[in-house]
Amino acid sequence: MARRQFKPSKLTLFIGLVLLGCIFLLLPQNVTSRLNFAFIDIFGFFLKMGSSVTQNRPAALSPDYVPREEYNRLQTAYANLEAELAEQKKQVDVLSKVRLTEPDPSTGLVLAKVVNKKENEFIINRGAGDGLKTGQYVLGDNAVIGLVEQVSNDISSVRLVTSSACKIPIKISAPEINKYFNGTIQGNDKKGARVLNIPQKYEIKTGFNVYAAEKAGFLRSMRIIGRIAKCTAGEKNPTVWDITVEPAYNLNNITDVAVIVLKQPE
Amino acid sequence: MKWFRFTVLILAGAIIQSSALMETVSLTVQHIKPNILLILLVYFAISCDSYDAIIISFAIGFAADLTGALIGPYFISFGIIGTAIAHIRKLILVKKTGQQAIVIFAAGILIQIPAIILAKIKGSTAETGGFLEIFAVPIYSAILWFLVKWPVTAIGKWLGVGIHRFKLRIDER
Repeated sequence: MARRQFKPSKLTLFIGLVLLGCIFLLLPQNVTSRLNFAFIDIFGFFLKMGSSVTQNRPAALSPDYVPREEYNRLQTAYANLEAELAEQKKQVDVLSKVRLTEPDPSTGLVLAKVVNKKENEFIINRGAGDGLKTGQYVLGDNAVIGLVEQVSNDISSVRLVTSSACKIPIKISAPEINKYFNGTIQGNDKKGARVLNIPQKYEIKTGFNVYAAEKAGFLRSMRIIGRIAKCTAGEKNPTVWDITVEPAYNLNNITDVAVIVLKQPE
Repeated sequence: MKWFRFTVLILAGAIIQSSALMETVSLTVQHIKPNILLILLVYFAISCDSYDAIIISFAIGFAADLTGALIGPYFISFGIIGTAIAHIRKLILVKKTGQQAIVIFAAGILIQIPAIILAKIKGSTAETGGFLEIFAVPIYSAILWFLVKWPVTAIGKWLGVGIHRFKLRIDER
């Protein structure tokens, strides 16, 4: 008896194959991937055929050619570097301006950003970790604007010259007689400061410059604080001047400062 | 239909499709390559009788899966679309080369979309190509059909198909 050949109908065949596909689909990938790996293992030699041709394409011959993935990676790194460079340029600009008036090469400057402004006080984003300590002079736009008051590891507070808690030894320049008068400046808790106890025998006039005096370990050369805005006879003690000093710059507009950190001699 | 020769052909097609040789004909930075298996699917689907076309479609789909990373998505999508073409050609004559190229283009898109969905269902994290790639590969394959029609037809004759090409077999009437 002749053996009957099994031949399913088209519909049965189609449904059977679709079900087989569903089984393939439902099988875990680590099982089915063996087939893919087997295909690569068996025909690996043939699959590599033409790779030398591909490598010798004109684009690959060019020394400037990089793969797309490499290009994207480099482009991202380039964008980051560009942003970093812009920031560094900004800092160089600021430093170079300060350096114009700070000839002493041993003077170190730590640039800081003002992260918070309080009444007669700035909070800056540098601290003891950057070499800051209490009493150091703080420059804003090349003029002394205050002193470092409190220091933590990464932030510090700056007491501004307009604060009554800030007392700085000063020198008033008298260009007409080519002299400097010593004194002490103290903030008036408003927008200015007062110079204390300057005898009336000194010829002080409005418009004279007021400088922060040198201070060992903190300031090696005089730096401007402001100008005398008002100079009248003292109300309580007529023998001394009542001098009002206007800071050189509007402190509200300052966003970046530089702290003078003197290098200790080795 | 000479099945052994067909197996060798499909295997060769799968190897060529996934070989570095295809890079030589790839276009743009996205490496758009023609799909040889898609061309073969459409050729066999419109040239063989519908019973053989079902088996061939699923077999080509399996070969396409072998060249990829997952087994299953192309098996199903090639099988269903190939079977559909085999049945549609009973109703619509696909005689001219241009018409066949249009079928290749349409089939390419109709295969790729469910294959991507099925691959996602299986949990593939591999990138499936963008919108452009889904359309670009079928377009490239369709254009290539004008060039490879003659050799593919010759291979088809070597396999024993194409004799009833674009005609209905007596038992299918």
